[in-house]
Amino acid sequence: MKWTSVIVEDLQVAADYLAKCCEKSGLLEVKGHFTNVQEALEYLNKNSVDVLFLDVEMPGATGFDLLDQLAYYPQVILTTSKSEYAYNAFEYNVTDFLKKPFTYQRFQEALNKLTAAAGESNISLTATDHIFIKCDGKLVRLNNDDILFIESMGDYVKFVTADKKYITHNTIKNLEEKVNRQCFIKVHRSYIININKIDDIRENDLYIKGNEIPVSKAHKADVLKRLNII
Amino acid sequence: MNGPNFSKKFIFNEKFDSEYLYSLYEDDYQYIEEIYSTTLTHFDNDMHAIELAFSTDNLDNLKKAVHKMKPTFGFVGLPTVQHICKEFEDICQKATTTNELTAQYQQIVITLAESKKLIATEYSKLKEFNSNFL
Repeated sequence: MKWTSVIVEDLQVAADYLAKCCEKSGLLEVKGHFTNVQEALEYLNKNSVDVLFLDVEMPGATGFDLLDQLAYYPQVILTTSKSEYAYNAFEYNVTDFLKKPFTYQRFQEALNKLTAAAGESNISLTATDHIFIKCDGKLVRLNNDDILFIESMGDYVKFVTADKKYITHNTIKNLEEKVNRQCFIKVHRSYIININKIDDIRENDLYIKGNEIPVSKAHKADVLKRLNII
Repeated sequence: MNGPNFSKKFIFNEKFDSEYLYSLYEDDYQYIEEIYSTTLTHFDNDMHAIELAFSTDNLDNLKKAVHKMKPTFGFVGLPTVQHICKEFEDICQKATTTNELTAQYQQIVITLAESKKLIATEYSKLKEFNSNFL
């Protein structure tokens, strides 16, 4: 089975080349090509894809703006001609960074990273009412209902329950794809929260058992949609 | 992009970095023709965006327009022109108004126009080569 992908790129020749690389690999199916963030978001918010090939500088919003507004987080490969974005790429925890133009060999290296990342994310998080996390040398079971929220700590994340905190090596990006979406929602680049645990929301923060959690502008509408507001 | 054992039958103009082109596309001459064709199709629009930004003193758009066009020259085998665009982009970054860039702008416009001619000539040669030999 192929990974589904979307190309967001304003330079036609680069988009064509990328599509050709995808086709040649036999691993990726390109579902669409968009030349700006707005059109890409419209598609991506209705259709989930496995891999996003994303240019940074485009007319209007940037590729990073798209990542801020996306309701989920596919594997992202940045394609840009500016090395200066490498730091941002690291911050957004993208899978790889391809500097245009790139050779097919370099593209294959990116695919290897995709494969590795996909493998890593298949950790024991498949059950619907609980997850297992690696913590202190053992696998610890956490019931979804006990988790208040998950906070990013760089290469680690902190699972917060009412009476304990668990730190494990993982990323919000990986977890977002794996946690039960009926219970959990990403509210900020650094936070996934249990939607059933929200006590109140004020301006751009929400509160869970006394913990103040920021809600980014990009995610606020999605959060409000999920609440039972009468 | 046809595999590791490829031939180098087509002789590119010396201004093109043929080794660079082969590193990207191997001997897929039909695809290189396609790359040139796509580039030429979009060239005038991209160029117009640069000219418009400069004439309206819109430094941000000028930077963006050059940035967008920059990798095109890598894709067509003119990495030196790509580098010239990068340098111009860096100058734009430091400038506060387009007036400060007049000399460099005039130079880059000439370089881009010459590049278009080169690509167009190479495209015609390649098209003929492909129709005769493939």
